[in-house]
Amino acid sequence: MKFGKRLKQQIEESLPAWRDKFLSYKELKKLVRQISSAESCVEYGKADAEAEFVHLLNNEIDKFNVFFMEQEEDFIIRHKELQQRIKRVIETWGPNGTKPSEAEYKDEMAKIRKDIVNFHGEMVLLVNYSNINYTGSLAKILKKYDKRTGGLLRLPFIQKVLQQPFFITDLVSKLVKECENTIDEVFPVEQEDEEEIVKEQREAITIAGKGIFRNTVAALLSMQEIRRGSSTYGHFSLPPMDLPDSDLIHSFQLNSPIPIV
Amino acid sequence: MEARPALSIQRSGASQLSSLGVSGGLSSSLSIPSTHLEGTYQKLPDIQQVPSERELTTRPQAHATRVPTNNGVVGHIFSSSSGFSSDLHYSSVLPNEKHSRNSPFISQSLADTASLPLSQSSSSLLPQPTIPSCCNKENSGSWCTDPDFLDFPVSTPVQSGQVENIQRSEDFSKQNDWQEWADQLITCDDALTSNWNELLVDNVTNLEPKMACQVAKPCTTMPAQNQQLPSPSVESLRVVNPSSSANNAPAKPRMRWTPELHEAFVEAVNQLGGSERATPKGVLKLMKVDGLTIYHVKSHLQKYRTARYRPESSEGSSEKKLTSMEEISSLDLKTGMGITEALRLQMEVQKRLHEQLEIQRNLQLRIEEQGRYLQMMFEKQKSGLDKLKVSSSNPENPAATSDATKEAPTKSELESSQRDHLDSGTGTVNNAKSMLERSSREMGGEDMATEAGDLEKTKARVSETSPEQAAKRSRIEE
Repeated sequence: MKFGKRLKQQIEESLPAWRDKFLSYKELKKLVRQISSAESCVEYGKADAEAEFVHLLNNEIDKFNVFFMEQEEDFIIRHKELQQRIKRVIETWGPNGTKPSEAEYKDEMAKIRKDIVNFHGEMVLLVNYSNINYTGSLAKILKKYDKRTGGLLRLPFIQKVLQQPFFITDLVSKLVKECENTIDEVFPVEQEDEEEIVKEQREAITIAGKGIFRNTVAALLSMQEIRRGSSTYGHFSLPPMDLPDSDLIHSFQLNSPIPIV
Repeated sequence: MEARPALSIQRSGASQLSSLGVSGGLSSSLSIPSTHLEGTYQKLPDIQQVPSERELTTRPQAHATRVPTNNGVVGHIFSSSSGFSSDLHYSSVLPNEKHSRNSPFISQSLADTASLPLSQSSSSLLPQPTIPSCCNKENSGSWCTDPDFLDFPVSTPVQSGQVENIQRSEDFSKQNDWQEWADQLITCDDALTSNWNELLVDNVTNLEPKMACQVAKPCTTMPAQNQQLPSPSVESLRVVNPSSSANNAPAKPRMRWTPELHEAFVEAVNQLGGSERATPKGVLKLMKVDGLTIYHVKSHLQKYRTARYRPESSEGSSEKKLTSMEEISSLDLKTGMGITEALRLQMEVQKRLHEQLEIQRNLQLRIEEQGRYLQMMFEKQKSGLDKLKVSSSNPENPAATSDATKEAPTKSELESSQRDHLDSGTGTVNNAKSMLERSSREMGGEDMATEAGDLEKTKARVSETSPEQAAKRSRIEE
């Protein structure tokens, strides 16, 4: 499947609010085609077109940065809130709390668990967003540009991109890890018959509709596809991805209108 | 939250709205800005987002404080339109609020607000200069969570008749001010004037990004602007104009928050008595952080309030939209176990994605690093060869010099490969790389070749890590 289509699919699977925050790959591709077809024109025309291209790219990058940083800020706030919430619940309804109540405790913890997992998911999706825009879109479109127009735009530009806030996902990754730790603490250690668990999981997933989970699965599979190898595989391309449990993940694509082949 | 009697909201709200020429009752207030925004901005070339109305009203967002380009600014208009709607209400209801709260009007709102009155009704224009003049890129958040506002129905359109009545009854005197204000705005910038004229045409959609930029200027706003009363506002307007030209590019770079910063923020807020009571100004003072502006604090405070308000009343906004775990729980098994397991599974998948992302990212960084290094070596070599050419006294430089002979063909090959932009399957740089490898070997430099080889090693390493990951995974799954 062509990259453009795959990107589109990813975007469709993504959270509604994010859909217009991705790179306008199609538009830029069109522009590149225009530029390359008009190559016979004067040097001046070419430089102009390049300037336009760069200008558009810069706008896109700004868009990413803004969106990314806003989300990041939100995550920081929510992360703290979650932790405080957990503390509160433990202190109030926990076994040693002020009003110990097993029922309430369980209830609240269940809610918290759900929220945390979704929160974790969202953060990971943001990292994924950053990655898609970088690898999938920017790098690709720049490569296309250089290839089509013989320009040398890619290398210096990409260097600049590497320093953009939206690409520096360290903080979010850190939050993700902290979240994982918290989750480990919050989730009960249960032992159950393995078969039963798997069956429950399948059922649960069958019912799952759109959402974070779906988006995550789509993201993983897309990544795998993108790295399967391209016609222009070279030293700047990523090697094929190693995704364990790939089959299991493929099986999660239920109710998918556009099958991720 | 401050308690505001509904009646007063109605009245002042109406006056505010009508001053903006936003006709119709309060019910249309929310929708009008958004519809107009959508209408007026449709033709903007680089804007790709047309946020849904619902989104606008339900997700007040902090405004990015940076104004990098015209398009960027306009983009902010979109994102801040929700803020705008709520700003509108807020300003209308709290005339005596601290200015810090009022100033966060979006600068872009000037465009919106200005466009609205002009396009709406010429006869019943009300001066409410403070609203547009009080513009900031920030959205002061305190009212966003006010239930009063949230209750405003988002319905449609403009009923000018209603507005005019209200206007006449209440703000007759303000008409003069409006004239003054309009004049001042118009004298602000000729381009702005032309935009105004365009706007006067019904539903003109040909707003240029310039408009937004102009908007940014006058709006840099008067932090001092707080009153909703016309007279002080007029004065402040006069103040606005001179400064507007000075503040051409409001320097509000996007702030990147960190957990530590947030901790300090929370501390300050708690000291001030909680998120509801704390004011941006107070928080800013307490935090004592360099480079932090009140706009940053304001937007952050808004987000903070939203985050706290929602989880207490619901499970958290995003969860509602996003996951259907609730569906699972209702359809699912009697035991809580099922849900937990499903959650665990979701976690696993998420973790996996995260891992892969990290790997990918590291790879990318490495690749680019290598590329940079290669480029640097290439440049070095090039300059080295140039020096040789220069130093050689032989007029037929490139061909004759014995020293240069070896490198020259390679060098020219490299150069030509660059100029011709070889469209090979492996790419230009790859070509250059192989050239460099050859040339470096010729020159006796082994480093280049090794560096090039390193890249391959990195990629090979990817497969090496997989067994580790697999082991890790099986551990988790146990």
